[in-house]
Order: sequence, then structure tokens, then C-alpha cells
Amino acid sequence: MPPGFSDIIEEARLSARALLDYGESFFNPTVRLGVTGLSRAGKTVFITALIHGLTRGGRFPVFEAFASGRIARAQLTPQPDDAVPRFDYENHLRTLIGERRWPNSTVDISELRLVVDYQRHNGADRTLTLDIVDYPGEWLLDLPLLDKSYAQWSAESLALSREAPRAHLAAAWHAQLTTLNAAGKEDEQATLASARLFTEYLGACRDERFAMSLLPPGRFLMPGNLAGSPALTFAPLDVPADGIAPEGSLWAMMVRRYEAYKDVVVRPFFRDHFARLDRQIVLVDALAAFNSGPEALHDLEAALSGILDCFRIGRSTILSTLFRPRIDRILFAATKADHLHHLSHDRLEAVLRRAVAKAAARAEATGAEIDVVALAAVRATREATVSRGRDRLPSILGTPAPGESANGEIFDGTTEVATFPGDLPADPESLFNGEAFRGLSSTEAEKSDFRFLRFRPPLLERDGGGEPALPHIRLDRALQFLIGDRLQ
Amino acid sequence: MNDRSRHRRPATFRLDDPGVVVIDADEAGKPARGTVQITPEHDPAQLPVPIETQVVPRRGLSWGTMFWSGVAGLVLLGLGLGVTQLIEDLFARSESLGILGIAFTAAAALALGVVTMRELTALVRLATIEKLHARAAAVLLSDDRTESRAILRDLLRIAHQNPQLARARSALAGHADDIIDGADMIKLAERELMTPLDIEARRLVSSAAQRVSIVTAISPRAAIDIIFVFVASLRLIRQLARLYGGRPGALGMIRLLRHVIAHLAITGGMAASDSLVQQMLGHGIAAKLSQRLGEGMLNGLLTARLGLAAIDVTRPLPFTALPRPALTDLAKDLLKKREEEE
Repeated sequence: MPPGFSDIIEEARLSARALLDYGESFFNPTVRLGVTGLSRAGKTVFITALIHGLTRGGRFPVFEAFASGRIARAQLTPQPDDAVPRFDYENHLRTLIGERRWPNSTVDISELRLVVDYQRHNGADRTLTLDIVDYPGEWLLDLPLLDKSYAQWSAESLALSREAPRAHLAAAWHAQLTTLNAAGKEDEQATLASARLFTEYLGACRDERFAMSLLPPGRFLMPGNLAGSPALTFAPLDVPADGIAPEGSLWAMMVRRYEAYKDVVVRPFFRDHFARLDRQIVLVDALAAFNSGPEALHDLEAALSGILDCFRIGRSTILSTLFRPRIDRILFAATKADHLHHLSHDRLEAVLRRAVAKAAARAEATGAEIDVVALAAVRATREATVSRGRDRLPSILGTPAPGESANGEIFDGTTEVATFPGDLPADPESLFNGEAFRGLSSTEAEKSDFRFLRFRPPLLERDGGGEPALPHIRLDRALQFLIGDRLQ
Repeated sequence: MNDRSRHRRPATFRLDDPGVVVIDADEAGKPARGTVQITPEHDPAQLPVPIETQVVPRRGLSWGTMFWSGVAGLVLLGLGLGVTQLIEDLFARSESLGILGIAFTAAAALALGVVTMRELTALVRLATIEKLHARAAAVLLSDDRTESRAILRDLLRIAHQNPQLARARSALAGHADDIIDGADMIKLAERELMTPLDIEARRLVSSAAQRVSIVTAISPRAAIDIIFVFVASLRLIRQLARLYGGRPGALGMIRLLRHVIAHLAITGGMAASDSLVQQMLGHGIAAKLSQRLGEGMLNGLLTARLGLAAIDVTRPLPFTALPRPALTDLAKDLLKKREEEE
């Protein structure tokens, strides 16, 4: 498709923005770190732990600048972008440490500015401004829509909804879809009903038992201030991919709203936030997919490759920094690694590495760096060995969140348990190919091959009145990869 | 893990369940059969991590370098001018002489180029090994897996020139894709690749030490001792560097010698305090029997120490999994040989 006039305008706006940013960061070096991940991946906890660790001093032996004492201090400063909500760090921290609850999931973009004073290896005093941008990963899945027409999107969504575990969930919407006449007169009520059923179907897919990831358009599930507006009131129709919508028809209305969605929601996000990022961490909750079953894992893989396709990656050069900023480092992090014994962390990494393998190979060809890590921003468990008969199970100890169940028993949030979640296979291929495993989406909880409980945040011991450091797994390695080179 | 363990089912146990016993990791008691025992593990992440402050080498162009570069450039220009004038003069005298002069110049230039290239590659190679050593030491601390794989690849490339390591190399290459943590991978590489080399290195050092001690014992003049010790040390360092994968040329040797002496100065204090003094006292009898014999012994030990320092400098991996050869071992070799000979 040759670039249209609007595309050129869009590019020009991006370049102007980049030039402005460059001017600012020339005097005041800034890294814009994007933190994203699909719902429940642990974005909020990651950012809270990161800020807490940097400002209050955590245990980061692998984060060289911090461990060697070159970082003099890090402090929060007022949020720079006036149109973006501030990341509510203090509240999240209170929830996490005080109430021992995980913070509520964020549904909108938020941002926070951290200023790090450090000394370079050669002794010069420097300041690095770290802008942390938190946005839902679902929004990323919207970006491919920019290149798709309504008809294409409809066809893809319908095909996806007719696959195995989804078809059942989409039954109500499919039934309603057959009553619609695409070429008929536009009908607000029918559209409303269709959009509602479509949204319900997307919501059902996200349930813990299915844990699907590939659910565009993202704003349907987290509408924010656009709830109920026409831009969010459309649904796929069964229309031919190359057909032309008759004037005044239901089809034409859907097309208009789909385009409005792109204009009102997707493009501004791309321009104002996404295209300006320097570094990116993508948090992935692979364990939820293991809980659910092979379909969820495949869906996750598809979603991840969709996400990677959106990034403008490549080695940063002066020209690219001036006119077309690129992301030169992406870290894929399998979160909640504390739900596994550390012997299995490498296998978890291998699974994630396999899931992003194709995209990573492409990214490496462009000169960007990609890494994969299994981490836990806040470590909620301890490790233990359980001996049962002859078996020695590498297990974890922790307090499950209220409402979690195992062995047919529902926990109240005060009992401590030891749990062995199941062995991850040594060869990640076996999870993706043929030899599938059983998860919650197809079988009873007692028969599934993996069971990862959700644990409450750890009880921290305060010593000497100061804020306790949050325990973590490999958060320091993630930091070293993401900003270590900017603190040389 | 094996196949059987793949089918272990997930399981959850309440800690307050009567059938569950929580035992301390340090307790070695044997609880009753039939219960489920839970042993909390010491958390490796909670243990204090040693952080080594790294000394950052000064970067950038120093004034000294600039001065020497300038002087060298001037000398080169002068040389070029001289040669050009010489050839012009030759041509003025006779054409055939001029052509002969050009031929000689070309040959000299070619040879110079090749020698320079060789020296440069040798220097680069030495630098690679030194860097490898530092990187391996860093990985032993950080346990970084990707970095350990990169080190392994470089190590295999360096070890490729040593045919007796073919089997060890292929064994190690087979492990490259296994799930092994970074530090363990370095230790594995050290055990596989360095064992035969260490044995050879030890033999080289002790034979050089013996030679020095014998020559010192029988040489008529002190000057000959000094020259011999110097030559033997240089030879030893060169052999060790070759053994561990470096091929130092003249410049490389100077660099290596500097490092070895610096290393000797750092470790010297420690060595002198324990082993050396002990050795000297122990061989006081030899010295009493003959002054020359005692001197020879001392010189041999000094050479051995130099050799050990050279091993530390030229070895691409730090000593972790394998024991560092100690002076006492070498002294034993020295004595044993001496006894056999006598």
C-alpha cells in the first residue's frame, strides 16, 4: 500500500515531536521507559517496586551503577506531561506494604518522572531523567489496526472467534450476528446490542480459566472516558473483504465508527506516547497461560508477535533520534517468577524466549537488543523442598490470596501453604507443538498439569524504623539491561 | 530432568495440616515415615553479595601518547625522505642501481608491513585473552547466562589451535545449549579445557626452574647466571602464553613481561611471607652443603614464582574450579628431580 497523504502528515508530526524531544534531552538527558503488558501481568507492581528500590535503596547487586555506589540519589519529580495522569506510586506502595494486597489494575496510561543523580566512571557528575510510561498492553494490540480496513478486521475477528475455545464463548454474539443485515439500513439499537455482545465475548475470553490474550480492539475492555461513545460502538460484520459499503447502510456506519476509533483512540496514542519511547519492557504473565491451557499459550504467542510488530526498533543513530526515534532495547519479562522454584526459572525463560523467537530474530537483524528474563518485581514467596514419600518436590512457601483454591479448599488469605506447581518441560517446543498439556479451560482444577496459586505480597520486617526493601527476583538484571548503559 | 519427573502433578500442602511437618534446613533429624516434610531453603538471594569495586582504566588520548605519536610520525617522515633521496641519487648515478634500490625498498616495506601485522594480531590476541579473563571473573559474580555463552564461544575459538583439546572442545560445545547457570558454565569450561593445559603449564614451570637452578649451581660467573635467568624467564613466559592460546610477538612480550612483573609485585608479599621463607629455611641444609647449591635453589624458586605469576596473567579463565598451582608443589618437583639426579 503506498503511503497516503494522511500517513505523510502523521510522519511529519512524529518527526516534529522527535525534534522537540531531542532539543530537550540534549541539555537534560532523558530516557523514556515504556512499561507495558497485558492485563494482570504486573505492570503496576513492577513500576512500584522499581521506584521504591531506586529511591529508598534496594538490593540490586547486578545493577552495576547502583551496586557500586555511583548513584548518589534518585527522587521523584513532578510529572512532566500535563495531559497524562500521574502514576499513583504512593497509594500503590501503601496497598502493597501496608495492606499486603496487590494494587488494583490500571486501565489507563500513566507516567512518572524519576531523576537519578549519578557519577560517571570518569568521575563527572551527571543527571539522568527517567520517564516511566505505563500503558495497557491491549492498546498495543490496537496498533496493527492502523493498517487494516474494517472488512479485513471483521474477517480476522470472526475467524478467530470461530476457533475452538472461543466459539463457545462467542455463541450469543454469533447468534445475534446472523440476524443483522449488513447492507440494510443503519440501526443504532442493533449496533448497540451487537457491540455489547461482542464486548461481553471479549471479556469472557479474558477470564482466568481461558486467559486469552489476543483481544483487539483494546479499548472495548477498558473504555475509560470514551465508554458509550460511537467510536466504541461497533462490531465485526460478516462482510466480503473487498466489498464496498452501500451508502446509509449498517455496514457503512460500522466502517465510519471503526475509522473513528482509529482516529480518536489509536493514532493519538501512537503519536503522543508510543512513538516517543526509547526503551521498552514487556511484562508477560506466562503462568496464567499455563494455568489455562495450550490455547491460551498459543494466543499469548500470537499477541506477543503482534506487539513486537508494532515497535519501531533498531539501533539508535543521530539521524533516527532526530527524526524517527526508535526503541533500541526491548526486554521481555516473564513476571511472577516467584511462583516457581528457582530451578525452573530457566525453563520459564526458555518458554518465553521460544514465544518471541521469530520476532526477536527480526529485531536483532535491525540492531536492536532484545533480552528475556524471568523476574518477580516483588517476591511473595520463599522456597522449600517438600519430601513426600520418595518424591522431593521443589516447592514454594507463601500465603495464597483470599479466594484462591487448591485441593477443593478455598483459602482465606491467612493460611500459609507449600505448593508445587508442576514441572515445566525442559524443551519449550513440546508446549507449543502437538504434545499439549491440560489446563483449566479444558479440565477440572484437580486434573490440570500446572497450578499456579496467586500469593499475597510478603510480610516485611521493619528494622530500625526505615522503609523495608522489597524482596525481588532479577529486578536488578532488568534494570541493568534497560538503563545500565545510560549510567556508564 | 528425566522423563519420569515430567509427570509430577501439582500439589499443595497447608503448613498447619497435622500430616505436614516443617523442619529446619540445619536439623538433620529423621522424622516419622508417612508424613510430608517441608524444608524451607536458605534463600540465595538474601545472602550478602560481594560487590567488587572495579577499577576503571582511564580512557581517551593521553598527552604522553600524543607526544610519542608525534615523534614517531616525524621519525617516519624523516626516514621516508631519506629513502626517497637515496633512490633519487641512485637513479641519477645509474638507472639499474635505482631499480635495485626500489626493489630493496619494496622488500623492506613488505617485510615491515607483515611484521607489523603480526605484532598487531598478537597484541589483539593477548588483549582478547585478558578481556576474557576479566569477563569470566565478572560472570562468576553475576551468573549471567548469555554472557557465559558468549565467553564459551570465544574460549572455544581460542582453544581451537590446540589439537589436544579436540575432545574437550566437542564435549563443551555439546553443553552450550544445556540449561546451566552462567557461573557453573564457566567452571565447567575451566574443568574441561584448562585441566590438560594446567598440567602442561606446571611441567613447563618446574622444568624451567630446574634448569635455572642447575645452571646457577655450576656457572662460573654471576653475569652468566643473570643472563641465563633472564633468557629462561622470557622463554618460560612465551611458552606459557603460547600454551594458553596467545602468540606474543616482541611487543606482546614486553606487555606480558610488564603484567607479570606487576602481578609478581602484588602477590610477592604474600608469597614471601609464607612459602618462600619456609622453603629457604628447609633448604638451609642444601646451602650448608654448598653455597652454590643453595643459590641455585633460590634462583630456581624465583623462576618458579615468576612462572606462576605468568600463568595467572596468560590463563584465559581465573582459577575457581581448579586449584591454583602453589609454589610448594613446584618446589617439591624441583627437589624430587634433584634427588633423582644426585
